[in-house]
Amino acid sequence: MTESVAAPAVPRRDSATILRYRDVVKRFGMLQVLNGISLDVHAGEVVCLIGPSGSGKSTLLRCTNGLESLDGGTIEFEGARLPRDEKALRAMRARMGMVFQSFELFPHLTALQNVAEGPRTVLGMKPAAANARASALLAKVGLADKAASYPAALSGGQQQRVAIARALAMEPDVMLFDEPTSALDPETIGEVLGVMKTLADEGMTMVVVTHEMSFARRVADRVAVFDGGRIIEEGPPAQIFDAPTVGRTRDFLSHLGWAG
Amino acid sequence: MTLDWSVVWQHREALVAATGTTFLLTIATMVIAVPCGVGVAVLRLYGIAPVRSLATGYVELFRNLPLILVVYWAFYVVPILTGVGLSPLATGLAALALNVTAYNAETFRAGINSIRKGQVEAAMALGMSRAQALRRVVLPQALRRITPVLASTWVSLFKDTSLVSVIAVTELAYVAMQVRAQTFRVLEMLTAMALIYWLLGYPQAKLVDWIQRRYAVNE
Repeated sequence: MTESVAAPAVPRRDSATILRYRDVVKRFGMLQVLNGISLDVHAGEVVCLIGPSGSGKSTLLRCTNGLESLDGGTIEFEGARLPRDEKALRAMRARMGMVFQSFELFPHLTALQNVAEGPRTVLGMKPAAANARASALLAKVGLADKAASYPAALSGGQQQRVAIARALAMEPDVMLFDEPTSALDPETIGEVLGVMKTLADEGMTMVVVTHEMSFARRVADRVAVFDGGRIIEEGPPAQIFDAPTVGRTRDFLSHLGWAG
Repeated sequence: MTLDWSVVWQHREALVAATGTTFLLTIATMVIAVPCGVGVAVLRLYGIAPVRSLATGYVELFRNLPLILVVYWAFYVVPILTGVGLSPLATGLAALALNVTAYNAETFRAGINSIRKGQVEAAMALGMSRAQALRRVVLPQALRRITPVLASTWVSLFKDTSLVSVIAVTELAYVAMQVRAQTFRVLEMLTAMALIYWLLGYPQAKLVDWIQRRYAVNE
């Protein structure tokens, strides 16, 4: 049931596997949230994880960079298992960018300081170099004029774009997006999705948990449909959205009003 | 009854010097009790089990003992137990610092706990260690949040320094009482003492309010 598609309809830009999930199991107490997830994410690929709330998408993302520990199975990042050792895990995390639903910008720092914080504290960059990198990234997400603003003075969409810049400042090999637009006003969703589309076009490897079906359809190379802690269907967006083979996928999409 | 306010003026030099000691005690206590309070709070939150219990025990002991008892105890009992006798000033400072550190530890613990988990996760997702996340993300926010509490601790402490007068530390309360005892000008000296404490304490409270508005973090 969780077999990946044998011949991908979308040619992969690079065959190197960035993330390899095998039989991943996660429990919270009695609740089994992930029931054996297997998935590969290749370099340059955009993989969207969709499915009903509570189906395990966000948990898988949080296991990816070790914010949650596994109860079974393995996750490999660039060919190496996620280490148990704190220090090695930190080094691996530093190469994965993460964007949270609730932004989680540091409220006591300006936009520029937020973006420079990782390079300064984790990479040990000099303030001038870190600030230069942060300025360039704020410009990239269209917020050069907000460098001196504190998060509280920014709209949700602007905060999330700063958060994306903050993650990019570590020059990650993969970006993990955990429902990046779910906490946003409808009018600011587009600006965040626009930045994500640009990243995808530049070849960034991305795993995106999202309820934005039109984004998944337009940007994803592959879509994985979650239900009850399993991937019930996986394939290129054309297949998932136009010709889903699994009944639950059709149900889920029609609940969202997706006409196909 | 005739009042003779000149007694206050006559002893102005002693009173000014004593006021200086009161300020010195307040500042020195806070200089010790803020970092130590952070330390105890961090040990209580993140230390290994025995350290955590020790820190909790310390906080609960000193938060629930009358300060005046701690002052007496430090002055009379500690030298007997240890054979080391400190000056009244150092003894008073130690007693105040022990007491205020316990209060500050509770304040910091509440402040650290009030920072939501997502902030630490965001820091760790960047590759920070727990210690870095605490230092760079949690503590700066917690400190801003608890500024009003630290401020009221400061203002309380400024007045509570008067308790060390019982071991003859020549701070404001002790000196005022000495003058009263020598001159029998009870009403004048007590009123002067009240005025000095109030006139010095009130602007400090206002200053602290201002600092808090100025550096408050909007979320």
